[in-house]
This record gives sequence, C-alpha cells and structure tokens, in this order.
Amino acid sequence: MLSLLRALPAVLLAWTVSLPAAEPLRSGTFTPPRAAPEFALHGTNGGDVRIQGFHGKVVALSFGYTSCADVCPTTLAYLAEARKKLGAAAGRMQVVYVTVDPERDDLARLRKYMNAFDASFIGATAAPDLLSAMRKAYGVTMTREPSKTNPADYLIHHSAYIFLIDPAGYLRAIMPFGVTPDDIAHDVGALLAG
Amino acid sequence: MKIRSALGALVAFAMLSAPAAAAGPAVSVRDAWVRHAPMLEGEAAKSGTGNGAVYATLVNAGAKADALVSASTDAARAAEVHETYQDAGMVMMRQVEQIVVPAGGKVELKPGGYHVMLFDLKRELRTGQSIPLVLTFRDAGKVSVTATVR
Repeated sequence: MLSLLRALPAVLLAWTVSLPAAEPLRSGTFTPPRAAPEFALHGTNGGDVRIQGFHGKVVALSFGYTSCADVCPTTLAYLAEARKKLGAAAGRMQVVYVTVDPERDDLARLRKYMNAFDASFIGATAAPDLLSAMRKAYGVTMTREPSKTNPADYLIHHSAYIFLIDPAGYLRAIMPFGVTPDDIAHDVGALLAG
Repeated sequence: MKIRSALGALVAFAMLSAPAAAAGPAVSVRDAWVRHAPMLEGEAAKSGTGNGAVYATLVNAGAKADALVSASTDAARAAEVHETYQDAGMVMMRQVEQIVVPAGGKVELKPGGYHVMLFDLKRELRTGQSIPLVLTFRDAGKVSVTATVR
C-alpha cells in the first residue's frame, strides 16, 4: 500500500516531466487538503497549543505517552533526527506530541521527556474529554491494557501516526509508525517549500 | 617429568574434545544498544521514573534452536521481553514468553519489533554511556551483555 503510494506520484511525474511540478510527498496525503481539526491544549512551552499559533510552520503532530518503551521514543527520536536533517529550516518544523495518558503525563513529566529528544518539541495535554475529542477528529484510537506482571501498571495501545499540518493550517499528510527520518524531513521540507 | 607430560596430554585432550562434547556456548549477543531516556524525578516521577528499550542481534551458531526467555539489569527496576506489533491501525506492545533464535540463525531486536523493555529506570540513560544487562536463554543460560546508550 505504502509502496503504491510512493510509486504513484513517480509515475505521474514521468508524464509531466516538463512541467514545474511540486515535489510529491512520500507519505499518504489528504486530497483535497482540509483544514486540520482544531485543538486547544496545554503545552510544555507554558502556553496554549492551537493550530493558529503555528502558522508559517509545518506541525508534525503525533500521539503517545511517556511510559512507552519502544514505539513513542522511536517516533520522537526519528522526529528529532528529521528536524536536524532540515538544517536551516529546522526552526519551521514544530513537533507537537499529545499524550494519550493524561492520568500519568502531567506537564512536568512531558517537559522532561520532550527535552530528552529535542528541546523545541512541545508536549501537550488537556482534560481527558478534550483529548478524546481530538483523537476522534484525527482518527486516532487507543485502548488501555493492564500489565500482566504488575496490576497497578498498564500499557496503552494507540495509533502512532505522524500527521503533517502545512504552514497554512491544512492537514496534508499522514505517516505510519516506523517511517524514516529521511522521509519525514523530505515531506516537511516539501510542505515548507509550498 | 613423566607425570607432567601425561598430565599435559590429558589437558590437551580435554581441551580438544571439550567443544565437541559440550558444543560450547552457541548463543551470542551482538550490537546491544539502548535508546537514551530521561530518568524522571520528583514531581515528574510520581507515575514512575520512566521506561526504556534495549535492542540487539541474537546469534545462534548451534545446531539446535534456543530462545531468549528473560532479562535483567541493575539500571532498571525490572526488565521483560516484549514485542511491538500492529493491528487495526494501532501500534501495540506486549510481553512475550520467549524469542526463538533458530539453529544457525539470528533474530534482531529492533525499534518497532522485539525489544527488552526496561521498567522504572534507576538512572538517566545518556548517549555514549552503557548499561550492563544479563540475557537468559532457555539452553545457553545467562549471557552478560553491555548495551551502549544511543
């Protein structure tokens, strides 16, 4: 499916090679682009986190939690690597990481965690019902799974996509878990270039 | 003198025949690494000090399959053998009883796949440092490993 998504623009480009076509994205795209669903969260930057606050930047939006061992740190590490690859444009890529575990992830915890990957990353939380509404708007699902070895502990299963919101606030792309830093940097760069 | 050379011959014989008899340690662990992670403290640690994941390549040079069954480290309260899998668009992690390493084969523990989950880190995992780890295999027993923080 992903390879098809990748191959398709390449085939189209071959036909329109003489035209100054915008470079295609490597991730799945929302066609036509639609305004990214609104959200209002508390951020580790000390303020409100809203789409309007990021105009002029590409927002890489993802969902996870700080007690996660493999998936979330991998996504955050790849996002940090992608941001480094952007060089001078790094300042125009904003990572917003929304917790799926508001019970355990307060701002202090999120801040420490984000800083371990990239101090520019914003961790965000809100009242559980607001987070739930936001997940629904983005098609993000989650379930809580009690730990087999420690009943007080739990794991959270969740969608681990990265959503890309363009500098005008449009939801443009969705990347699956495990997408490489190269591909992330490529698509953020393409959206920054317009 | 006589006794000495006889002893020497015996030792030499024992050394030659030992690998064939015991098959030696068939399982080895290569390129172990652990993702850098903060250790949460104070207010931020009331829900735990943070978790981590160790990755490595498990190599089985033997003629019989073996399996990684458990792990331990002094860098965390507990360690478990886990896997990440995907279902219905969700990415999930769960404990597994074992990771089978086929005879003459290898298995990679890597981001998004098998990993050793570390529960409640006892110290911050800083890039460039390393942590000791003991991986226990069903047949090969305990293998000591040093995982580099990346």
